Amino acid sequence: MQTFLQVLINGTGKGAIFALLALGFVIIFKATEVVNFAHGSLALAGGYVVAVLKPMVGWWSAAAAGITAAAVLALVIERLLLARARNASDTSLAILTIGVDVLVLTEVVRRLGTEASPFLGDPYDVKPLTLGDVTVGRSEVVALAVSVVLITAFFAAFRFSPWGVAMRAQSENREAAALMGIRSSRVTASAWAVGGALAGIAVLFLATQDFSGGGLSQATHGVALAAFPAAIIGGLTSPGGAVLGGFVVGLTEAMTAQYVDLDFAKVAVYLVMLLVLVVRPSGLFGRVVQARV
Amino acid sequence: MQTAQRALLTAAVAATLVLTGCSSKAVNNSSGGGSAVKTDVGVTDQTITLGVLTDASGVFKNLGLGITHGNEIWADEVNRAGGICGRKIALVQKDHGYAADKAIPLYGQVKDNVLGLAQLLGSPILAALKKQITDDKMVSVPASWASTNLDTPSVLMVGATYDVEMLNGFSFMQEQGFVHDGDRVGHIYVDSEYGKNGLAGSKAYGAAHNLTVVEAKVTATDTDMTAAITSLKSQGVKAIALTTTPKQTASALTQAKAQGIDVPFIGNNPTFDPVLLSTPAKDSFDKFYFVNGVVPFSADLPAAKDLAAKYAAKYTDTPNVGVDFGYASGLVWQSVLTTACNDKDLTRQGVLNAVAKTKVDTKELAGELDFSKPGQPSSRKSYIAQADATVPGGMKYVKQLFESPEAASYRTPFQH
Repeated sequence: MQTFLQVLINGTGKGAIFALLALGFVIIFKATEVVNFAHGSLALAGGYVVAVLKPMVGWWSAAAAGITAAAVLALVIERLLLARARNASDTSLAILTIGVDVLVLTEVVRRLGTEASPFLGDPYDVKPLTLGDVTVGRSEVVALAVSVVLITAFFAAFRFSPWGVAMRAQSENREAAALMGIRSSRVTASAWAVGGALAGIAVLFLATQDFSGGGLSQATHGVALAAFPAAIIGGLTSPGGAVLGGFVVGLTEAMTAQYVDLDFAKVAVYLVMLLVLVVRPSGLFGRVVQARV
Repeated sequence: MQTAQRALLTAAVAATLVLTGCSSKAVNNSSGGGSAVKTDVGVTDQTITLGVLTDASGVFKNLGLGITHGNEIWADEVNRAGGICGRKIALVQKDHGYAADKAIPLYGQVKDNVLGLAQLLGSPILAALKKQITDDKMVSVPASWASTNLDTPSVLMVGATYDVEMLNGFSFMQEQGFVHDGDRVGHIYVDSEYGKNGLAGSKAYGAAHNLTVVEAKVTATDTDMTAAITSLKSQGVKAIALTTTPKQTASALTQAKAQGIDVPFIGNNPTFDPVLLSTPAKDSFDKFYFVNGVVPFSADLPAAKDLAAKYAAKYTDTPNVGVDFGYASGLVWQSVLTTACNDKDLTRQGVLNAVAKTKVDTKELAGELDFSKPGQPSSRKSYIAQADATVPGGMKYVKQLFESPEAASYRTPFQH
């Protein structure tokens, strides 16, 4: 029982961080229908800013600067590249983000060099919390709290704020929304900025001893991409689904590692993704697109 | 007619090329060193050139730099004393950045100019070049220690292999009372030549002492050991062996502390990197022991202190155990070359013949090394070390060079 609880906690902790990442994917996709493959390198770029500024201005200011930097970078990518290719298909734009990803990743990894990879979770890393017989990394507890706050805020914003209404309208029908006076460019740009900021927040938990066992490096990018199945499982158009998908990925990994095989854990996530796609091709909560023929 | 002429011309050109190719490798009878010494590649009347295929820009940059500095200190010392066989030692250094695809062309660049390799850093690099160095009779000192690579005479492995390290490691754990016959122990290992060789050692020790070895296999790129530790804890292991990367070691140790599994750890020599002592994992090393065939840089032993002084006089980089290994590798080469010189044969084949006769005492650096038994490690002795942030090199020994009875009687894969 104690082992089961520990596994459950391991999985939930990791799931919280995957949920944050998947939410970033989904917000961009929902507003623009573009799959942002550069999400991992946005996280890496934000993390790099934190690593550089941390020794000079302290963790809190550096973290704020890193999140802002990731948001600004996402905004720049959208304004400079995607906005200028308005008539391109969503598939072409998705491939464009792969190109951006390669460029940003290579530059950040080059800048990081061969020095020891910097860890970014100073206030909470390697300070485990004990709850009865089980322990949990403080990074994961903080990530869970941050996810809950952010996710609640997003759901409120989606439902009640003019920005949320505009985004939902654009997501439903871009042309009709434009005819109703919603400025598509503003909605798209803000979605990218928010997605970037979420990547910037997630990296503060990714590059920790608790979560990945390594500092900010090329491997962080790989871990960030592991959130992709989370978004697919939940449904690329559903923020709620992204959160659920994050926890499904975290728990699947932890459970299979303990009860099936360590090696099998990474594969299991993709098996679950395949199963979900077979049963529900748009993901658990994704919008089902119907085309009249 | 024209076709026949062209074919004849092509054949003639090909024949010329083959003949010139052969002639450049012809054996010379040089008069250097007093009397006629046979030479072929990498040796002139004045110089013996050795290659250094190292990592000066990749993940093992620090280790590579340490080993190269050790090689250089040795070469300088030999040259100041007049060289070997009347010839100075020259080192040709190439940086492969720990990438096999870069190492292959670099090897191609140096192979016709060097007698052998004073350093060949990295398991994947050795795997990629093993056939070539065997075919070229290129005697090479690898900075990787899998006993499964002792099937070729070109591999000049300095010190104990991973399986032997694990046998000595478990013997130490039992001597300290950390494990007892009949216990369950865990072993987290990387799914590679390195990991499997370490596991062979713990299994051999387990068979001799009725230990149940619970295996936890991970991939080399995994850095998060949370699940492996949860799994081993649930199976009630009394100690955990590691044949992992340094990052995996740090994750395993911090997770063990976090999850409250208070057991000792024993690791192979590559499991520790002093850099870990400046990461958030720095306070998790108190129950971690690791096995090393080479003396820690700051050890209070005459040969180590002597080398540390020479290092301080020449370099300002933060030192590591690589310096001692690089210097010890040089001493081995010195002994091999001296034997080959006495046999009047400094050809690649002559060096191979000399290796088979070489026994060298590196004092406290790596102990006595014996290369005369094909397929067997040159030593079965190890230091047991612990992390220590207060000394240069980041480690101290807790047990001096020793050979456990289990290591002595262990049969390595290619032992005849």
